[in-house]
Amino acid sequence: MAQYGFHFDGTRCTGCKTCVLACKDKNDLPNDINFRNVHEFGGGSWKQDASGCWTTDAFTYHVSVACNHCDAPACMEMCPQGAIGKDEATGEVFSDPEMCIGCGTCANSCPYGAPKVDATKKKSVKCDMCADRVAAGKQPVCVEACPLRALDFGKIDDLRAKYGTDAEVAPLPAASETKPNLVITLPVNAKKVGDTSGDEQNPREIK
Amino acid sequence: MTGFPTAFSEITLVLFTTLAPSGALAYVLANLPIAFGRATDEEREHLDRSSWLLLAVTMVGLVASATHLGNPSNALYVFTAVGKSPLSTEVFCAVVFLALAGVYWLYSFAERPRRRLQRAAVIATNAAALAFVAATAFAYNVGTVPTWSHPLVPISLFANALMGGPVLACLGFAAARFEPGRAPWGGRLLGLSAAALAANLAVYAVMAVQLAPVSNELASVPELVPNYAAFIAAFAVLAAAGLFVGFRGLRARGRSLVVRMACASALVLAGLFVMRFTFYMSHLTIGLGI
Repeated sequence: MAQYGFHFDGTRCTGCKTCVLACKDKNDLPNDINFRNVHEFGGGSWKQDASGCWTTDAFTYHVSVACNHCDAPACMEMCPQGAIGKDEATGEVFSDPEMCIGCGTCANSCPYGAPKVDATKKKSVKCDMCADRVAAGKQPVCVEACPLRALDFGKIDDLRAKYGTDAEVAPLPAASETKPNLVITLPVNAKKVGDTSGDEQNPREIK
Repeated sequence: MTGFPTAFSEITLVLFTTLAPSGALAYVLANLPIAFGRATDEEREHLDRSSWLLLAVTMVGLVASATHLGNPSNALYVFTAVGKSPLSTEVFCAVVFLALAGVYWLYSFAERPRRRLQRAAVIATNAAALAFVAATAFAYNVGTVPTWSHPLVPISLFANALMGGPVLACLGFAAARFEPGRAPWGGRLLGLSAAALAANLAVYAVMAVQLAPVSNELASVPELVPNYAAFIAAFAVLAAAGLFVGFRGLRARGRSLVVRMACASALVLAGLFVMRFTFYMSHLTIGLGI
């Protein structure tokens, strides 16, 4: 089985959210659901020293994240219907609409906030890594839309060989929890998982 | 940002986890005279005919839990994940318990029921009820949700059932024209409930301390469940009031006894509802979920 995954380059992302909107447009998502979110993480302050000079340790950076099609997906483990599986050809974590009852257990379990319950469809919905486009030899629409080329997609082994093996940064959870198929080029001022010096700066934008 | 919207959106699950474990344990306790062969034919008949009340409490909880499903028409797939998903196992145990209880209840109407078969059936049903309570206690063990995978969570649910179950059982006995106050076990049942109240308070006090530092990058437990101490106080007042009404009601007879035990049960269950609500309020994942 080939396992596909995403690469996110934190040194390039400007937080423009074109990836979010391209995904919403392709998947015709309602206002209250995003399959991909851009988290703005920031913190720090200004201090004045004895000589009156101001210094700052303020920081902010963006993390674009969707379903990471994990190797140990919490959503799949917890689903009471057995409705969530991994595609053998691509490693996509998919939700079978025939079996799903829309109970929301997957949404409650995922530490990346990837699955959502669509109130209209009454089903769990999530990023499918644009399976139709990938099957046609294209990139997922978020990757193709990014004007800064901050996203990449491919076989996870190739991505790791090309970009490294970092897969966690605040505000994401530790990669050891669900083994995400994600590679991150760490942004400037990247903070470690569990960092308490920063906060999510755009909680109302996260759907 | 509080966890109130989260808990409110899961209100049917709050109701389910309030009613079903206590209802199932009450069913077990109310059937103990039959399981141990201590009930006369007439007493057994009364107990059998009134068991619908305790089953109804459990059923209301189960039906409530089903209403939060987006699309329950495909719910039978739940049996494909028994043993893999704790929620699936919980549903399976609930179905087994209710199926056995339903069949037993129907058989109780037989003109000449076989006593041994009946006793074996009630023992099997009670075992299924206990398995259901255990499965519910562990159904929320989601590793990525630190507030739910805390080791005291299943203990709190057992303690909940041990508090609500005996009071409900007294209601069941009263409805079956037993008078719990005229037997020593009536006071003992409510005493068990009172002991469970003390255990609940100890468990919730420890959880309040241990969960206070838990947070992710979006929220902390004190933000999600503000005034946790006030919730615990409301729980204690409601439960204590229920037990007070129950103990005072032990001397009543007939319909008055049923009414008093129903009031006691309602107050105790209201207390449990408050704490189950805070449980759902406290939901947060290790990453980006609340």
